[in-house]
Amino acid sequence: MVDQKELINAVKETVSREDVRYIVGYEEGTYGFETAPSFAYTSDDARKFIFNPLCTKNLVVYPILEEKLPLKREEQEDDRKIGIVVKGCDSRALVQILQEKGLKRENLVLIGIPCTGVVNTKKIKDKFPNQTEYTDVKEEKNHYVFSIEESVQKIPKKELLADVCKECEYPNPVIFDILIGEETEVETEPTYIEVREFEEKSLSEKWEYWKKHFENCIRCYACREACPLCYCKTCMADFLDPQWIRRSVDLSENTAWNIMRAFHLAGRCVSCGECERACPAEIPLMKLNKVLEKEIRELYDYTAGLDPEEKTLFGTFNPDDPEEFIM
Amino acid sequence: MENAIISKEKLPELFTQIIAKNKLFAPVKENGFSLFKEVEKASEIDTSYVNTRVPPKSIIFKQTETLFHFTPGKKGNVEKIPEENEKIVIYAIRTCDAKAFALLDPVFIGDFEDPYYSARRRNSVLIGLSCNNPGPACFCTSFDDSPASIEYVDILFTDLGYKYYIEGNSEIGKKFLEDHKTLFDAASGEDQKSRDKVEREAIGKIKRTMKLTGIVEKLDGMFDHPIWYESARKCIGCGTCTYLCPTCHCFDMQDESTLNKGARIRVWDSCMYPEYTHHASGHNPRPARMNRVRNRVYHKFNYFPKNTEVFGCTGCSRCIEYCSANIDIIEIINKIGEVKE
Amino acid sequence: MKDFEPKIIGFLCTWCSYAGADLAGTSRIQYPSNIRIIRVMCSGRVNPMFVVNALQQGADGVLIGGCHPGDCHYQHGNYQARRRITMMKKLLEFLGIEPDRVRMTWVSAAEGRKFAQVIEEVTEDIRKLGPMKQVRRKNEW
Repeated sequence: MVDQKELINAVKETVSREDVRYIVGYEEGTYGFETAPSFAYTSDDARKFIFNPLCTKNLVVYPILEEKLPLKREEQEDDRKIGIVVKGCDSRALVQILQEKGLKRENLVLIGIPCTGVVNTKKIKDKFPNQTEYTDVKEEKNHYVFSIEESVQKIPKKELLADVCKECEYPNPVIFDILIGEETEVETEPTYIEVREFEEKSLSEKWEYWKKHFENCIRCYACREACPLCYCKTCMADFLDPQWIRRSVDLSENTAWNIMRAFHLAGRCVSCGECERACPAEIPLMKLNKVLEKEIRELYDYTAGLDPEEKTLFGTFNPDDPEEFIM
Repeated sequence: MENAIISKEKLPELFTQIIAKNKLFAPVKENGFSLFKEVEKASEIDTSYVNTRVPPKSIIFKQTETLFHFTPGKKGNVEKIPEENEKIVIYAIRTCDAKAFALLDPVFIGDFEDPYYSARRRNSVLIGLSCNNPGPACFCTSFDDSPASIEYVDILFTDLGYKYYIEGNSEIGKKFLEDHKTLFDAASGEDQKSRDKVEREAIGKIKRTMKLTGIVEKLDGMFDHPIWYESARKCIGCGTCTYLCPTCHCFDMQDESTLNKGARIRVWDSCMYPEYTHHASGHNPRPARMNRVRNRVYHKFNYFPKNTEVFGCTGCSRCIEYCSANIDIIEIINKIGEVKE
Repeated sequence: MKDFEPKIIGFLCTWCSYAGADLAGTSRIQYPSNIRIIRVMCSGRVNPMFVVNALQQGADGVLIGGCHPGDCHYQHGNYQARRRITMMKKLLEFLGIEPDRVRMTWVSAAEGRKFAQVIEEVTEDIRKLGPMKQVRRKNEW
């Protein structure tokens, strides 16, 4: 469990530094089991900051989303640092971005939080659909504890834990400046059980499954925008000439989009699960990301987002890479 | 025909009759969530939902609409695609989504008539289903509607447990009831009472309110207020809020072609994308997320009421529930209300 | 299915595979005419989205040809292509699209005969798989 006071104090201290512009963290959401991203510009703002198993969002998107508007005459660019509250997976996303030189380490202050897994908000909403007030969820001895209409609910962690967190190998931030609390012990070695089971199916069964999901895709690109690693200035999907993917929404184009999204994250995805969480059509996008992660681990012994100095998967090669299929 | 009752056993028979003559769209549960789909069997219909994920506007105002085919070159020609004139019945539409059609009609059948929209709209019968279990973020009562409002639908069904209470509203609705009257029983005063009770209970379940008094005038003077920056910095710039909105109606025109044949299509567009306002010159009048979030709120709560005298929002709560950054339009509007001028 | 003639798009690297195809032609070696060749500067230039777009637009199979490992004109373009195409095939298989529709070969400028053999093999394999159904565009335009 993260100590709230320790977190707030750390944020207060950091945000009061002269070279820090603001810090992104979490605050209570407006209803139910929602938490919202919070921005602290002064040490006063830091009071709102929280961390609990409902804090699902990967906040690494925010420094990347920052628009650089044209400066007014005689205006100086504000190049002070941005602080981010990061969990294990978030920090790996950041490492991956640093690897690709999308951000500079010296422009960031990282407040690391050893994570013990986050709640799948869809599951908890389904269980308590009429919760209008913000509800604080706490983790106690493998149970989630929260009160609903004055009665205390105690639900086993397994039931509500987000799928991506079940096989998380790096719950502790890989890089950080300040660490809040004790590091979490890692118990699991990923088995990729879900992906392996799906691979057993025949080709036509697999396609039937994906067809049903891709038909529902509305191409809102929430998966792309929520992903901290989808930060191309112009996405291939937005090009008009050449038009890689047509704008019309049908099975063929939706499949092409989903193949493209998954492929562009091959060897980069850090399994934070943000795409799946953001998808309004509930397409199991993490399955695609996971299968690539598994194959990459088996074939190239590569894991994304661990070392900022490492080279990217597709930027490197090994002359002995497997090539059975090549004629 | 007066108000009537249909028992749940006879409902499949009603659907079979409807399907025989019309295209029936109804909520179907698929992959764990509800969406409106064309159904062929009554058993597919699943009404245990709060709101479908994609609003039923997608039935009348399709996400992708092909307008015409063309062949390029000197001997090229244009071949218009005729409007669809099939009869459509939309069953189990909620008040919020039905009201959305009342808001979209002035846009598509107003000064300029859109042939595709208006053909489908004219051939459609809206059968509403009172919302007995509103969601946690629902706020239709803020617009003086109720989860069981009848004014936006042709026929309204209310679930009374083992039977449905049926009210006809428009000419089309009453005629429709007349056509199928063999399946209905007359409603008693008792039924009327239990229907009203169900409605009252549903209204009681709606906990959130949006304070709308004077908001149109207030927004006039708030274009440069810092609140827009504060609300928008959370935004990640996806189009979920607009694509899932029952009243959002922006679209984009695209030509898609191969070497010897092409088509002009109309697809949904979203004002939350930077390219929505991107000029060919490279200039973008809404360069930041702040400008875009502001535009969404202004369009629904200032420009729309100025043009049509109703708010461009129906309180369906989709944009709140599916926003991955918890941008809450109720919160934004209430905050604006509190701002001192 | 008997009359089915597959359409295959071949992305061939200009330095080796394309020259190999040329050699096959000048040596008058017969090979199936199902392949439509697109010359690229290097197999590393083949964006995996080319493959998807080809399958969308009417191809039943895609062949990517490059230089033998170590022989790349640009030092390591073919090595990088190898990684990408491997992952693309894995992804397609996971989605339920036959991975054998995407093939890769190393053909040098001197291997005209090998080129003809590869085309024959690929054509037969794809003929067995039948027409591409999953991601083919339904529109005629």
